[in-house]
Amino acid sequence: MSIVEVQGLSKRYDPPKGVLAVDDVSFTIERGEIFSLLGPNGAGKSTTISMLSCLLRPSGGDATVDGHSIVGDAQAVKSVIGVVPQDIAVYPDMTARENLVFWGKMYGLAGVELTSRVDEVLELISLVDRQKDRVDKYSGGMKRRVNIGVALLHRPKILYLDEPTVGIDPQSRRSILDGILTFREQGMTVLYTTHYMAEAQELSDRIGIIDHGKMIALGTHGELVKIVGEEARVDVAVDRQLDGMVERWSGLRGVSKASVEEDHAELLVDDANEVLPHLFEEAAGGGSRITSVNVSEPNLELVFLHLTGRALRE
Amino acid sequence: MTKVWAIAWKDLRSTMGNVPGLAMMLLAPLALAGLLGFAFGGGDSFEISATKVALASEDARPAAAPGQEAPPLAGDAFAGILTSEGLRDVLEVTEAKSAAAARARVDDGDAAVAVVVPRDFTAALYGAEGQKTAVELYVDPTQEFGMAITESVVMQALLDFNGARAAATVAVAVAGGPAGNDDAAQTAAARFVQDGGVSQALVIAERAPSAGEGEDASTVGLILAGMMVFFMFFGAGNVARTILTEDQDGTLPRMLTTPTPTATILGGKFASVFLTVSVQLIVLLIGGAILFSIDWGRLDVVAVLTVVTSAVASGLALLIISVVRTPGQAGAISAGVYLVLGLLGGNFGTATDAGTYATVQGFTPNGPLLRGWDAAMRGGGLADISGDLVVPVAFGLAFFAVAVWRFRRRYA
Repeated sequence: MSIVEVQGLSKRYDPPKGVLAVDDVSFTIERGEIFSLLGPNGAGKSTTISMLSCLLRPSGGDATVDGHSIVGDAQAVKSVIGVVPQDIAVYPDMTARENLVFWGKMYGLAGVELTSRVDEVLELISLVDRQKDRVDKYSGGMKRRVNIGVALLHRPKILYLDEPTVGIDPQSRRSILDGILTFREQGMTVLYTTHYMAEAQELSDRIGIIDHGKMIALGTHGELVKIVGEEARVDVAVDRQLDGMVERWSGLRGVSKASVEEDHAELLVDDANEVLPHLFEEAAGGGSRITSVNVSEPNLELVFLHLTGRALRE
Repeated sequence: MTKVWAIAWKDLRSTMGNVPGLAMMLLAPLALAGLLGFAFGGGDSFEISATKVALASEDARPAAAPGQEAPPLAGDAFAGILTSEGLRDVLEVTEAKSAAAARARVDDGDAAVAVVVPRDFTAALYGAEGQKTAVELYVDPTQEFGMAITESVVMQALLDFNGARAAATVAVAVAGGPAGNDDAAQTAAARFVQDGGVSQALVIAERAPSAGEGEDASTVGLILAGMMVFFMFFGAGNVARTILTEDQDGTLPRMLTTPTPTATILGGKFASVFLTVSVQLIVLLIGGAILFSIDWGRLDVVAVLTVVTSAVASGLALLIISVVRTPGQAGAISAGVYLVLGLLGGNFGTATDAGTYATVQGFTPNGPLLRGWDAAMRGGGLADISGDLVVPVAFGLAFFAVAVWRFRRRYA
């Protein structure tokens, strides 16, 4: 059963000639799943999440969240969502507890309920001991935890996380990802945006790949990988001219495609383990020596490359 | 309402924790007012030194009519007026033995004016109708101010004396006495003069804080009022600017993702600006009263002025913030607007009561406010300041209305 249904959502800034940031996007998010919007910077992920947060009014289309229209019933939508913005949006001159109390009031909590929810969230984000310290005294990871904690205060039905791991250390990133997996275990629905392919791959039940405002692919990780035929990509560099080598390699069994990409050759192969020895043999036979080999198993990066012709830069 | 208060309280707390900001809001106006007050001279007093007057009375008692008592010397009553307690601050009168001695004092620079009461002064006052005489003023031409004061006092006294005589003559006639009964009129006029009617009528109006400590406080008070309003603009601007900084920091957009209506968020922001400048004003009022002994006036008047001044400062700050995009723009534009308004409105002690400049001041949001504070310090009531508040209230409402409209469009 879908908690989010997006139909033909579009956003053009400064119409009629402004940038079309989101172009006729449609998708659904099922209850209890983690749905990731994956795409490079500027693809339209944040604009989409801003519209679903009722921060931006769509130029076209509509979406419902828990049955409420983002266009016609914004207040109802806001009461069931929790939004974790990309940048830390809490008050640095207030303590973690003061921040949570303030934001709890913004979500309509009061009295005993507010106090108990603040205590629960402080426990959840592991800041009970530091709750009376000002946020500007915290490490980056701790600030991120407060940033997420604010969105959990009112027990939202769906949590939006807009690139929450950008610019943080690996340990904090791991902590956040584990936390999100825990939320799913507790039955919370998560909409997650990222340009990190590995995060989307690890977390998501389903992934929507977005580029230039358009949803170019949608499905589970397995479904998306099938788009590139489950082939592995092998990047090979040699110490001589590549053109002749690529011609020789393209004739090998198990190599479906070979091309020159800047200073290396790019090959799509059925089974890298089987093909690699033949690559070395052919190179030696052609009087060249392979200087580097990089094997990429089928993944979302390849899917993006396949669909757009460009790399999804991390 | 809880949310409005939560937002306002958060901002107020943040402002009160900003030490440099507080110094700008509270210490700067007090310090500037103190410095300017001192620069205006020994605590800014404006005292008129008493004019030195040499008084020579040559008045002689006229012969009494048969069967009647001689009238009292009118010259003595005249001298009593000039030396009265009420005029001691403006006239320093010393008696000279003769007209020549009095004139000599003026010639020697020991007095600014010599007043010579003629020999027939009493006779002219109580005598037959048509008899005239003149009091002589012998003046140092360089002492124009002292001459003007003395002339004014003497003129007033003579008018009263003449008035007493006329009143007595008419009274006798009305009472049915025979026509030309000068004796009765003389007696009545003499009684009138002797009973103090003249001296009581001859007074110089003084404004309440016109001398001593009160005057000092009033002038410093006017300067502080100007500084107060000027720095309230900046105080309001600083708090209103948090709308833009919160927008940039992401806390405002985040607030807009909560089930809190935009109007409530803006209401909280507006309330925080208003509360902050109100607190600023109250602290400055108390500080001025303690440090400079300023009597701000009646409590109800001060309360109304506080509300209107805070509303104008808040409205203006919010209007500016509503038309700019970044805190940097807000800082630059606000400073320019406040400075121009400060100059036009008279916040730097340039207020005037007449002329084109006064007209311009009357159409600034701050100029009439300063007049209101001036009136309050002079002891004025609500009726006295109501006229001064029309323009600021209109400005305040217009500022708020435009700011609300702009913000609602921006954050709709």
